[in-house]
Amino acid sequence: MNPVLDQWLASCVRSAGTLGCGVRLPDGTCVSRSLHEGFPQNHLDETLRCLAELSPVFSGQGLFPRWLTWAFESGQLRVVIRSDGALCVFAAQTNSLAARNLDAITEDFFALKLAD
Amino acid sequence: MDDEKHFLETIRPLFADWSKNTWRIEVAISADQALGILKDSQFDLIVVDVNMPVLDGVQFLSILSRRYPDLKKAALTGLANEEKRAACLTNGAELFIEKPRSAEGLKSVFTMLDELVTWRPQTGFQGMLRRVNLQDVIQMECLGRNSSILEITDRKMSGRIYIEDGRIIHAGVGSLAGEAAFQKLLALASGAFQLQPFEPPPARTIEGQWEFLLMEAARVRDESAQPAADAAPEPARILDTPPGDGQLPRLMETLICSGQGKPLYQWQCYDANGRVELLKKISQYAARLGRLLPLGKFDRLEIQLHDSRAVAQAKSDRLVYVQAAAENGKPPA
Repeated sequence: MNPVLDQWLASCVRSAGTLGCGVRLPDGTCVSRSLHEGFPQNHLDETLRCLAELSPVFSGQGLFPRWLTWAFESGQLRVVIRSDGALCVFAAQTNSLAARNLDAITEDFFALKLAD
Repeated sequence: MDDEKHFLETIRPLFADWSKNTWRIEVAISADQALGILKDSQFDLIVVDVNMPVLDGVQFLSILSRRYPDLKKAALTGLANEEKRAACLTNGAELFIEKPRSAEGLKSVFTMLDELVTWRPQTGFQGMLRRVNLQDVIQMECLGRNSSILEITDRKMSGRIYIEDGRIIHAGVGSLAGEAAFQKLLALASGAFQLQPFEPPPARTIEGQWEFLLMEAARVRDESAQPAADAAPEPARILDTPPGDGQLPRLMETLICSGQGKPLYQWQCYDANGRVELLKKISQYAARLGRLLPLGKFDRLEIQLHDSRAVAQAKSDRLVYVQAAAENGKPPA
């Protein structure tokens, strides 16, 4: 486990309305935290893999997203893609404090030093 | 740009010589490399090989048209056919050339490219196209699920369109109300409009989906257009920017399709088929994510790019893609 990442994930999940979050490292390893029974770790890991699969579809269309927000009826998924290939997903309940913090978390993830 | 390195090595000194060294030539063996070169300095012309691995020339032309609208583009191919030619010209190429197999052929290609470099397009209507029009503003308000009032005025009349949470709920002009008023306002060839903060309308007279209301208004406007107008009408313009956000986003691209992916409306969409495929993929992945996590019904995907922002909606009855950048170059909030 990457201690920097572990510490960062722990800090991310403090806001009310957080459902879960996770990071897929450039080597394909997934690290996730579940904050809601409907969002178990293995599903969050599968979500990360699924979202990583979709990245080339955007680049094939000449789109290179910094981040994406999948907005659903009762929650949203913020997906942040770094240039080193690390990908983060953050699930928040709609209209919650966690949802309002998504931009700050996004910037934190961009600034996060994952490698020594 | 060509993945055949020896071809690039052949033409580079030849073209430099034929141009009497007035051309500065850079070569790239991939789209990635070409984009890197374009980023670093300004160019007059790019020649793109159509048959490229990974990202083919047609898609690359489409990207170039969006990122570098003023850059002249020529497509080069060893296997020319009408379909390819149409795809290249639709995606922004000014010239479509078959790869020459002789020195004479190369000279003729050089002459065509030289002509293209010195050709200056007429610019009479470019300024008008860049203006945001009423339809674009309504689309942005609806896709952004905003609430606002659009106040529209011309020399003879003044009317209002009410948008609440991205739905068009009322329109009024003179004694008209509802869809008839909406169509009348959208049919105005000139005038001005202003975005006002939302307040409840005197009545709720419109219930239809905004995409179809806009399409119907476009149809009515086209049918009532005078065929022999003496002067091109001036598009409606914005008087003031909305409070708070500063500048309105500048629309870059719009595509509205049926649920099956048939384009119903498109504006500056250089690769509609590619965008439809993207929207279908988004729809598939939204369903997959929905099966993994209990998030409810999928509404939209917001895509934050480096210089712009896109919103994609994939519903059973429609697929929508809108991309916008702020006038000041910063992505819209």
